[in-house]
Amino acid sequence: MADIQPPAEEIRALVGYEFPGGKYTVAHWENFLLTECTGSEPLPDGLVHPVVLFHMPILGANTSIGGMFALGQAESDFSIGIESYDWEIERPLHEDVEYTVTGRVTEADRMEGPRRHDRPGYYDRIQFRFELHEPEGDFAASSTITWTYRRSAA
Amino acid sequence: MNVQVGDSIPEWVMESVRPERMRTMAAILRDPNPVHWDRKAVAALPFGLGERTINQGPLGLSYMLNMLMDWAGPTSVRRVTVRFPKVVLDGDHVTAGGRVTAIREEDGVRLADCDIWLSREGESPSLEGTATVALPES
Repeated sequence: MADIQPPAEEIRALVGYEFPGGKYTVAHWENFLLTECTGSEPLPDGLVHPVVLFHMPILGANTSIGGMFALGQAESDFSIGIESYDWEIERPLHEDVEYTVTGRVTEADRMEGPRRHDRPGYYDRIQFRFELHEPEGDFAASSTITWTYRRSAA
Repeated sequence: MNVQVGDSIPEWVMESVRPERMRTMAAILRDPNPVHWDRKAVAALPFGLGERTINQGPLGLSYMLNMLMDWAGPTSVRRVTVRFPKVVLDGDHVTAGGRVTAIREEDGVRLADCDIWLSREGESPSLEGTATVALPES
């Protein structure tokens, strides 16, 4: 496994990494377009479609999908796989509310996967957890993203 | 709402996954991955997917959320955990389904735990997982 870049130690050292964090407010136009993409009619009373729990925490924590690819030293956009998404909603999210967002890496490790081209296949499994709080400080929701970063042997 | 363990959740159908929605989604998500908006980039991959863009994982998940919200209400979803065994492609006809596996009470709220999935007709699920939904009182 020694010829695989980046070294496994660099990946494991990501555990505990914190994104800068920040605030995020979902505007009506964003919620409207997002909801339309899902094939649903707009939700009532300014409710934000829960699919927002993918990108809102990422952008609100002051990172990006590309930034998360780069943090794990992805070989390319195509080398990323989704293991799972885990979203918890304590309080429904609303338009025009400024949420405070934090995010960090909670797990990171090198794994051995299926063999490719008659050689062991390796990937890195990185888990990110983001939390959203309402302006008064109450916990609103969380998003746990677990991605795999496929590695090529040298 | 009268719900029993073993009940099926009414299905939610996406007749045809539309590539223009993936492009709008990519812009909202600031998602740089061309597999969601460039058919030729997908065709160049060694996966034999042809010239069809790959639906974002959250969009497939959203079809299951729509099913849950149509069933139990727009503020009902408390938790979803989903895995992605297969990709969903533009033009796919997919159906979200689910089944109640447990009913419990927490802080005075009646909750239904469910298995949920999203599948092309006749195939094993492309997405699968679990959900917890707060049930309306009546």
